[in-house]
Amino acid sequence: MNSSADTTDPILKVSDLRVEFDTYGGIVQAVRGVNFEVSEGETLAIVGESGCGKSVTVQSLMGLIPMPPGRITSGSAQYRGQEILGRTRINGRELRGSEIGMIFQDPMTSLNPTMTIGDQIAETLQVHRGFSKRDAAARAVELLSLTRIPEAEQRAQQYPFEFSGGMLQRAMIATAIACEPSVLIADEPTTALDVTIQAQILDLLNDLQRDNNMAIILITHDLGVVARMADNVAVMYAGEMVEQGTAHDIFYRAAHPYTLGLRAAMPSNVDETAQSLQPIEGSPPDLFAPPPGCGYCARCPHAVEVCATKPPPRFSLEAKHNVKCWQHHQDAPSPPTELFLSSTTQAGDTAAP
Amino acid sequence: MWIYAGRRVIQGIITVWFIATATFVAMHSVPGDPLLSDKAMTAEIRANLAAKYGLDKPVFPDQYMTYIGNMLQGDFGISFTQQNREVNDIIREHFPVSAALGILAVLFAALGGILWGALTALYRNKLPDIIIMFLVILGISVPSFVFAALGQLGLVGLNSWAGQTVLPVAGWGTVSHMLVPALVLGLSTMAFLTRLMRSSMLEIVNSDFVRTAKAKGLPPTRIFLKHQLRNAVLPVITVLGPAIAAITTGGFVVELVFAIPGLGRYFVEAVQQSDYTVIMGTTVFYGAFLVFMVILVDLVYGLIDPRVSVE
Ligand SMILES: Nc1ncnc2c1ncn2[C@@H]1O[C@H](COP(=O)(O)OP(=O)(O)OP(=O)(O)O)[C@@H](O)[C@H]1O
Ligand SMILES: [Mg+2]
Repeated sequence: MNSSADTTDPILKVSDLRVEFDTYGGIVQAVRGVNFEVSEGETLAIVGESGCGKSVTVQSLMGLIPMPPGRITSGSAQYRGQEILGRTRINGRELRGSEIGMIFQDPMTSLNPTMTIGDQIAETLQVHRGFSKRDAAARAVELLSLTRIPEAEQRAQQYPFEFSGGMLQRAMIATAIACEPSVLIADEPTTALDVTIQAQILDLLNDLQRDNNMAIILITHDLGVVARMADNVAVMYAGEMVEQGTAHDIFYRAAHPYTLGLRAAMPSNVDETAQSLQPIEGSPPDLFAPPPGCGYCARCPHAVEVCATKPPPRFSLEAKHNVKCWQHHQDAPSPPTELFLSSTTQAGDTAAP
Repeated sequence: MWIYAGRRVIQGIITVWFIATATFVAMHSVPGDPLLSDKAMTAEIRANLAAKYGLDKPVFPDQYMTYIGNMLQGDFGISFTQQNREVNDIIREHFPVSAALGILAVLFAALGGILWGALTALYRNKLPDIIIMFLVILGISVPSFVFAALGQLGLVGLNSWAGQTVLPVAGWGTVSHMLVPALVLGLSTMAFLTRLMRSSMLEIVNSDFVRTAKAKGLPPTRIFLKHQLRNAVLPVITVLGPAIAAITTGGFVVELVFAIPGLGRYFVEAVQQSDYTVIMGTTVFYGAFLVFMVILVDLVYGLIDPRVSVE
């Protein structure tokens, strides 16, 4: 961004990321031009309904997209200014597990069932930091206590089947932060856990972030989690980020009809106007043949003609707040009042109608 | 672990007792009389033998008790057809031959199955996978006597091509005698294990914890050895017990073709000649051997998979 002086350099900056998959039914365009960035000590939440490409987005940064059938067709991802897309090391150093850590949705299946928890934490230290087996094991115990697992010493000797789901996710976190990464990617880290455990895990992530000044990319369905954790939010729909802004922007000044729909459809104690839950009618577009215009057009209560034919450009509303919706074009006839409309609406960087 | 092992051993002993009883009952319900089958037997010998084995007494409980009692002392009796040969001697002399052949065959089968299976999974739908899976189908569907004959033919060809004896065509005595027969013996099991290993490996390759290992930035060899192989090999180990059974019992044909003086041949001969003591002795011995191999395999499984040892 050009103007705001207080923004620190982003630690991770992704632009125009496009990912597709070959399937029997054709080519699935899972991610269709995604831009986002995240800075040190900051949490970016990526929200959106199932299948919109959240996991594919972060997995392509981690080199976890199976290729084939997957393919990264364009884009760039810069970690501390260096290109990392399509590679897993810079300057001969492995990034994954060392600079960028990742935790997954289902802790029950995400750990190796035949290896002790301690060994699974220790091995990243041995591989990336050259720890001896002994030092790594000792550090693994420290990391387990850091993630608030009681009797860490004994627990480190145990196998995943001896742990509960919440403890497994703590162990996953301990593994991911073992090498003190600058970025932690958490793909729905609490979806498989019950509510009280969920809160504990989120608190843990918050504390770890404060202590290590990590950037966190948090994928979630749950706006409650967003409210609790996020500094910035990216709303994803059908492989695109349709709205991005601070958590405050998204909760109080939503500028995209989909964001509004999402808020109405999700139980959230933040939205003070929440009455009954309103499902969004219809289903996301076919990613085999995405519509020529806006992906949300068919479900959008405010759609106009141009929405069906031309993809909306990105309109910047404020420094961090941008949206892909034709209603923000200066010539839009009568923008709906429930959308937040910047007084100085301007055409964004991509295109003019 | 030790409690588990102890329980398995007791179960094993009961199983062997069961095998012994079943063999006994079966042998007494088939028609024919062991002492009648041999024409050259005088009435005097017959009476002596009948007295020695208690054949003049009722089958239950007297004969049965004698049989079990003798067996508990490790005495399987004397062959009915081979003069003065104790069944124990036959087993002692020929079992090591069969066991050596069998162990080598199991080794070939297990290592080959794991190696080829992992390879085909890693090269899924590529040329190595297609070739190996074609051979696997051959290995499973072609009976072992065909491979035995082909193997022998191959050896003859090899030796005449080299102009000297690279590997002996038949017989017994050195490791070089064992290689080809053991390979032939293990071939169908190897094919079966390859298929099992392939599907197990394919599942593991796409599992969540392998994805985690990649996200941890571990080098591919470490992921393969510590995360994929160890977990993928578990289903292979579970069927290794039955596989050992298949290989040991399938040894007869290979022993015959390659003129190997193993126990299998004696067993077949004994059946043909109704040599009761040899049949019962070798059956119970084979049974016991297999039961304890299966227990051993399960204990090894317990060492590799932490989830079973606690149960
Ligand atoms: N290996 C694959 N092969 C084919 N298509 C894939 C593959 N992985 C993902 N996709 C497709 O990419 C699209 C986005 O998937 P992704 O997993 O990123 O969704 P998501 O937003 O994470 O959803 P969820 O909230 O359910 O986790 C989906 O339509 C999915 O079908
Ligand atoms: Mg996902």
